[in-house]
Order: sequence, then structure tokens, then C-alpha cells
Amino acid sequence: MKDLPQIVFVVDDDDAVRDSLRLLLKSAGIPGEVYASAQEFLSAYDPAQPGCLVLDVRMPGMSGLEMQHELNLRGATLPVIFITGHGDIPMAVEAMQHGAFDFLQKPFRDQELLDRVQRALVRDTDNRGRLRLTDRIRERLATLSPREREVLDLVTQGKANKMVAGDLGVSQRTVEIHRAHVMQKMEAGSLAELVRMMMAVAPRQ
Amino acid sequence: MVGSDHNAAGATNDRGIERARTIIVAGQSSQRTREVLRALRGFTNVIWPTSLEAALEQTGSDDVACLVIADDLREESLDEFLREARELHRNLPIFVITDPDDVAEAVSAMRHGATAVIEIPPSYAVLREEVARTVQ
Repeated sequence: MKDLPQIVFVVDDDDAVRDSLRLLLKSAGIPGEVYASAQEFLSAYDPAQPGCLVLDVRMPGMSGLEMQHELNLRGATLPVIFITGHGDIPMAVEAMQHGAFDFLQKPFRDQELLDRVQRALVRDTDNRGRLRLTDRIRERLATLSPREREVLDLVTQGKANKMVAGDLGVSQRTVEIHRAHVMQKMEAGSLAELVRMMMAVAPRQ
Repeated sequence: MVGSDHNAAGATNDRGIERARTIIVAGQSSQRTREVLRALRGFTNVIWPTSLEAALEQTGSDDVACLVIADDLREESLDEFLREARELHRNLPIFVITDPDDVAEAVSAMRHGATAVIEIPPSYAVLREEVARTVQ
């Protein structure tokens, strides 16, 4: 499936800011869409659409920080660059703690924003690549039988076939057969690769 | 060089399991900062290495609950230090104390792995609350 082109979404209640950012993105050859409010953006938002978000902090109705919270609840991975004319450290820290990609104070130079937008787009590509990879690993995991999953868990803990056989109360030959099926279903070329796959889908601590 | 203060507070959680008890304050923080941190319940030790390098050596101990980087160390490469500290200790809470209104520095510190950035002045209460909320 071909990837959709990346779009930079701008959400700002100030007409002049929206217009200038629209022109800036156009001049840099970056596809952009502008929205006057958080609600307007959220109602149009499609999680499958790659890109990044340039978001004003202070807006009437839902603020930028509230919108970030809403996007987090929806599991959005879109990198968010906050822009504000009234930023302070607690506000910046809160935004960053909740996963903002960057936080920029107005006025800023055009190039400063474009540099950050480019970095955010790279981050989005990386994030989506990682998600696709973990989705594929989970799909393969779902094809394992309960016994194969047990063998997988034990061998990726570093246990030899003989130990796995002892833990599961089966013969070593049976473990070898299950292990071969695991490697095949997981499309893993080596135990190291299998371990990396399991680490990729393990919950972060 | 490393200095240290001790208090006699206990350091077990609600299940009686002993937990990390040392707060490292990197840099020549103010006397008030040290007092605020020493007063936190559950910590028996506040140490203050005078360089980021020395602080990084100290963070290897299991006893360390968090690292606080004082504002006088900003001339050293804070971002580089944070990146290095994060590589070594993924889950260690790291607080950066900074002058008020330096939003760009705060954002950069957060991007490089700080848990929170606290401006001093105005509020030691924020420092106390942030550290307590994260590590107690």
C-alpha cells in the first residue's frame, strides 16, 4: 500500500497566523491544511493521515493543551509543535511531558519553524514505521498455538531446549518441533531476531 | 567533589520494602534548595557533586531516587549530559532547575530527557511537589 503524502496541519484561531503559515508552508513546498479551532480540526482528523501538527496553545473553546490531551486519548501519534505568544516554563513542561514534539515561542523566524516541521515529519515517518512493524509482529504472534507461545516465551528468556522441555514437561524433541514452528511463523532468521521482535512489542516500563 | 547531608527519616514504602533514599543535587544549589529536598520524608541522604560528570558517576547506585541539576551547571553541556544520563538510566527521574522564563532551555532539556524543569525563583513548593510526586 502506498503511503499517503504528509500534511502539516495548522490549528490557530488567529487569521493572520493561519494565513502566514499557509503561505510559508506553500513557499516551502509542504502540503498544509489550516483550521481555526481545535473542534474544527478534531472533527476532520483522520489518524491514518501522516504529517504533523502546528498547534496554538491559547485558543477560545478548547485550548491547544486540551486538544493534545484529546489526541492522546485517541491514541494519536501525530507529532505536535506548540506555538504560543505567551509561553512560560510550566506550560512548556506540561506540553512536553504529554508528548509534544516541540514548543516554540512567537515571534519565531520562518526557518526556525520550517526546520522543526521537517524534523517532526521525519519523526512521524519513524513512528508510523515502528507501529507497522509492531503490528506485523503482533499479527504473527496471534498465529501461534498456546504451546508455541509458551516455548517462545521460554526460549526468548534465554532457556535452552532441554530446560524448556523440563519446564513444560515434554520431550526435548517436542520442544525442537515447536521451536521450529515458532521461527517459521514469526519469520525470524535467528533467536536474536526473535528476541528483538519480542522486545519491540513488550510494554514499555 | 561530593558533599552530603543526612536526615533520620525512614525509607520504606507501604509494603515495608526498602527503597531508594538518596537525592543527588548536581551543582552548587542554594542552601534553600538543599533544605527543601532534605525535608522530604523518606530520604536519608542528599548529596551534591559539583560537576555533571561527578553526578553521573553517582547515579549508578541503586540507592539513588532522583537527580536534580542546579542552575549553575548550565554552562556545561546540559543537553549532552541528559542524553548520556538517559542512556545509562532510562527510568531515573531527572529534574532541571533553571532561571525563570528561559522557555527554550526548558524545552530543550525536556526533549533531551529531563523529567521536569523547575524555575527557581519563584517556587520551591513546585520543586518539592514535583520531586515528591515522582519519587515518593
